[in-house]
Amino acid sequence: MAMPEFQVHQPKTVEDVLDLLGRHRSSVKLLCGGTDLLIKMRAGAQTPEHLVSLNRVAGLKTISYAGGDGLVIGGAARISQVGKTAEVRRLYPGLAHACSVMATVQIRNMGTVAGNLVNAAPSADTAAPLLAYGASLVAVERGGRRQIKLVDFFTGPGLTVLEPGEMVEAIRVPDVSPRSGSCYLRLSARSKVDIAAVGVAGFLNLDLEGKVIRCRLALGSVAPTPLRCPEAEQILEGQTPDEKLIAQAAAACVRASRPIDDLRATAAYRRAMVQVLAQRVLTQSLDMAKGGTP
Amino acid sequence: MKNPAIIGKSIPRMDAPAKVTGRALYADDLKMPAMLYGKILRSPLAHALIKRIDVSRAKALPGVKDVITGADIPQVKYGNWRLVPQSQDELALAVDKVRFVGDEVAAVCAIDADTAQHAIELIEVEYEELPLILSVEEATAEGAGLIHDESKGNVSLVRKIDYGDLEEMFAKADYIREDTFKVHPVQHAYLEPCSCVAHSEEANRVTLWTSTQTPYIVQCLLASTLGLPENNVRVMKVQVGGGFGGKMELRPWEFCASFMAMRTGRPVKFTLTRADELAFGRRRHPMSIYSKVGFTKDGKLLAKDFQVMLDGGAYNAMGPTATFLCGTFGNMLYNYPAYRYFGRHVYTNKPPASAMRGFGAPQAAFVAETQMNMAADDLGIDPIDLRIKNAMQTGDVIPDVATISSCGFKECLEKVREISGWDAKRKDPKPGKGLGIGCFSFISGGVFNWFNTKYNFSAAEVSVYEDGTAQLATMACDIGQGPDTAMRQILAAELGIPIENIRLIAMDTATTPKADLGTWGSRVTLMNGNAVIDAARKIKEMLIPVLFEEMDLNQIHDIGFEDGRVFVKANPKKGLTFGECVYKALRGRRGEPLTARGFYTPRNKGLVSPAFSFGAQVAEVDVDTGTGLIKVEKMYTAHDCGMPINKMAVEGQLEGAIQMGLGYALMENLIMDDKGRTLNTTFLDYKMPTAEDMPPGESADVYTYEPEGPYGAKEAGEGLAIPTAPAITHAVHQATGYRCMETPITPEKVLRALNKIK
Repeated sequence: MAMPEFQVHQPKTVEDVLDLLGRHRSSVKLLCGGTDLLIKMRAGAQTPEHLVSLNRVAGLKTISYAGGDGLVIGGAARISQVGKTAEVRRLYPGLAHACSVMATVQIRNMGTVAGNLVNAAPSADTAAPLLAYGASLVAVERGGRRQIKLVDFFTGPGLTVLEPGEMVEAIRVPDVSPRSGSCYLRLSARSKVDIAAVGVAGFLNLDLEGKVIRCRLALGSVAPTPLRCPEAEQILEGQTPDEKLIAQAAAACVRASRPIDDLRATAAYRRAMVQVLAQRVLTQSLDMAKGGTP
Repeated sequence: MKNPAIIGKSIPRMDAPAKVTGRALYADDLKMPAMLYGKILRSPLAHALIKRIDVSRAKALPGVKDVITGADIPQVKYGNWRLVPQSQDELALAVDKVRFVGDEVAAVCAIDADTAQHAIELIEVEYEELPLILSVEEATAEGAGLIHDESKGNVSLVRKIDYGDLEEMFAKADYIREDTFKVHPVQHAYLEPCSCVAHSEEANRVTLWTSTQTPYIVQCLLASTLGLPENNVRVMKVQVGGGFGGKMELRPWEFCASFMAMRTGRPVKFTLTRADELAFGRRRHPMSIYSKVGFTKDGKLLAKDFQVMLDGGAYNAMGPTATFLCGTFGNMLYNYPAYRYFGRHVYTNKPPASAMRGFGAPQAAFVAETQMNMAADDLGIDPIDLRIKNAMQTGDVIPDVATISSCGFKECLEKVREISGWDAKRKDPKPGKGLGIGCFSFISGGVFNWFNTKYNFSAAEVSVYEDGTAQLATMACDIGQGPDTAMRQILAAELGIPIENIRLIAMDTATTPKADLGTWGSRVTLMNGNAVIDAARKIKEMLIPVLFEEMDLNQIHDIGFEDGRVFVKANPKKGLTFGECVYKALRGRRGEPLTARGFYTPRNKGLVSPAFSFGAQVAEVDVDTGTGLIKVEKMYTAHDCGMPINKMAVEGQLEGAIQMGLGYALMENLIMDDKGRTLNTTFLDYKMPTAEDMPPGESADVYTYEPEGPYGAKEAGEGLAIPTAPAITHAVHQATGYRCMETPITPEKVLRALNKIK
């Protein structure tokens, strides 16, 4: 199939973006890095008549961190930019790791974190760490804005709760308290330049006695959507983690997963790897949390 | 023997600047006025009868200039093994039957690629599905259906080798092991997908620019399938972005472009996509292998019984050669007093397998080397010692095959033991870490004339001019491996002129001397190099008399050619510049240009090859026993490629070979479903290692002087792709206890062997 004709709009403000989304409601897509969208268009899987580019919208690429308020990632911030930001590397190492190893250099330089989430691939690398950090999305439409918890965002492969006419303006990630630790680990056949076959992200916050106040665990590539593991989190919360407890929590992560056999790995391998990676993620997070302020 | 300074130097490839700056022209870069764009309709089914094809809607689409099906083309089958006509089993477009998913059914050309693609979608084909045969076991089972109705069974070719008394030797053996192995398919994954442009200026003559390793083979087979004299077909040079064996046959798009160019009178271009290549392209043979070896208790090899079924896919392609070479390399490295090989090339309903870097040898060596390592463990002998005990050496004879005229195998084994720290590391094993060895031998070109050419195997034409420059014309192909540079080095060494002064015309079947069988089997350096030397020496014979006459020399003098001068060796000041000498020779010849042709065909070199390379490689791995992931930490290689012509090119071959061997062992695999469809058709899911996966390496060159090679050179590229997979397999075994008998090694297989996944 030849690529049908389409029109590209390059608005300068969010208001103009929303107007364009409304005006062309029947056949419009947002364009930023284009690293997922253009591939789909070339394959004929998407045939929008209008593309609204976010690349010239003022302020949308900003990445800011303010103690207490946490991290705000603009809707058009590039993956590599996020991965290079000093505060992200210091406080959100799981996200920084995802942003520096996923896909390829070229894709990281073009693609955006928001796009990675909105594209809603089960394997989206930024999703698991952002779930573990308790992130939310700020979605805007002409009528106003709403905050969507990332844990409520994904509804299936390629599907989210985002309404037509809505766009992700920013990703908000809560601040990280002292005595926190976090980590994201992913597996793929190639050491670099590859899609994750399994990904596990974790976040732990300890009290002064070393008991877990808050735990979040998230998985990628092992279910129709990236997902949290509440059962595993509850096993650890209020407890002083040890090897046995960590293994139990990891086993609960395995129970939360619903992997399939595909080209990249079998379900059996994925399940076994959730166990292994979750243990490693928790151990590393714990070490970091014990080291004081991450 | 002392070689001229330019031989063995590290010279950056002369084609490199053009390639890295984008100036190099590949087939898809060519655009011609009124050029049409071709597309192919392929079968979605792996085995079916074609009941009806309706092209009327495609033909009626505005912009479409031609639509052809199997019914429109001459019914002349082709295949590279012209010596065995019944092995020629392909038609460019299927007639009556399709035999694999991707089998070419119809072709279209139109004013642009989108229109051609649209037209393809308008062609209606009605199929009647036939039972699928997707493995060699099914294909050879009793009552299996026939993939080619005219063949007796699904075994298309058998090769046997048998010498020594097998039964007696096995009876003498203290230690016998029998194993079965399966090896998987991988693809060349050359950077440049196939592409060609055909144009027919004069009726009944056609010129084809194509991404090929074998212009001469394409010329001949295109002529026979089009029903034209060979001389009416011209195959022309373009840059070729890699081949590795995947571009050495006539391909359907080359035929369709030429056929439709003649019918329409307009140039026609076809370019494949990466997805086409991965889903339908040629690949390395998967094989089912049984091997039985016998040793004395102190490790002397006595006998080997080697039985192989090659999964050839739907057509023979280069499968017959792979069947031969698999047998040849089943016993190449070591002395076997008795050896029996029974190889069968089997048709299945899969995309045809064909030549791929070492064709037949990587699979044979994987088995031979793995069994060697198993035997070493059981016999309690160090794997390197066991090899040295049995290793081939200079002067050894393999019955009916070859006499080894140079062999540095033992030196390679000693060298690799030293550089890898083998003894110390094996004495002190670390958990999860392992060291493993694999070895190789490979041919420097083939002797067996399966293409049945009437011409010499290689040829070169050298012309020299009074401005001190020379021109080298040869059909030999540089597909990225470097002969455009190496051949000029050889000529520069012979004539004693700077390499920059040599202009090269290559790969044009109309203007370069006949013939060259192409780039495969690591034949170009040795064979074309010898042809270049032959031509250069004839030129020198034209120049030497000038000096004798000019300087009034006693006939006992020798003449040197160095530094752009022709001079008296005993008194180097006495002489002429090369250009002056050519000028005077031209005068003496009353204007007849100084041009000479040189040729090479191996003589008295057995059946297989004029020369053999050897080498040994050690892999050092670190296995994460939690995830099963394998990290190759370092590769150590010692290899005997004779005297290298261009050291930098040899290093490049070594690195590329490790990349390919690494992918073969650990990542790459063409995954098919039960309908015969290839599922991983992108580089996202066809896991070729990237530069970031490359382990560091250390290598040692073991120089031997190969008497048959130009300046002592022999094969340096293909063989190196062989040892990596068995070396990694061995290292993983040392690290984990998991011995891979069914490639590739995956993290999951490692964990299953460790009982970490049930």
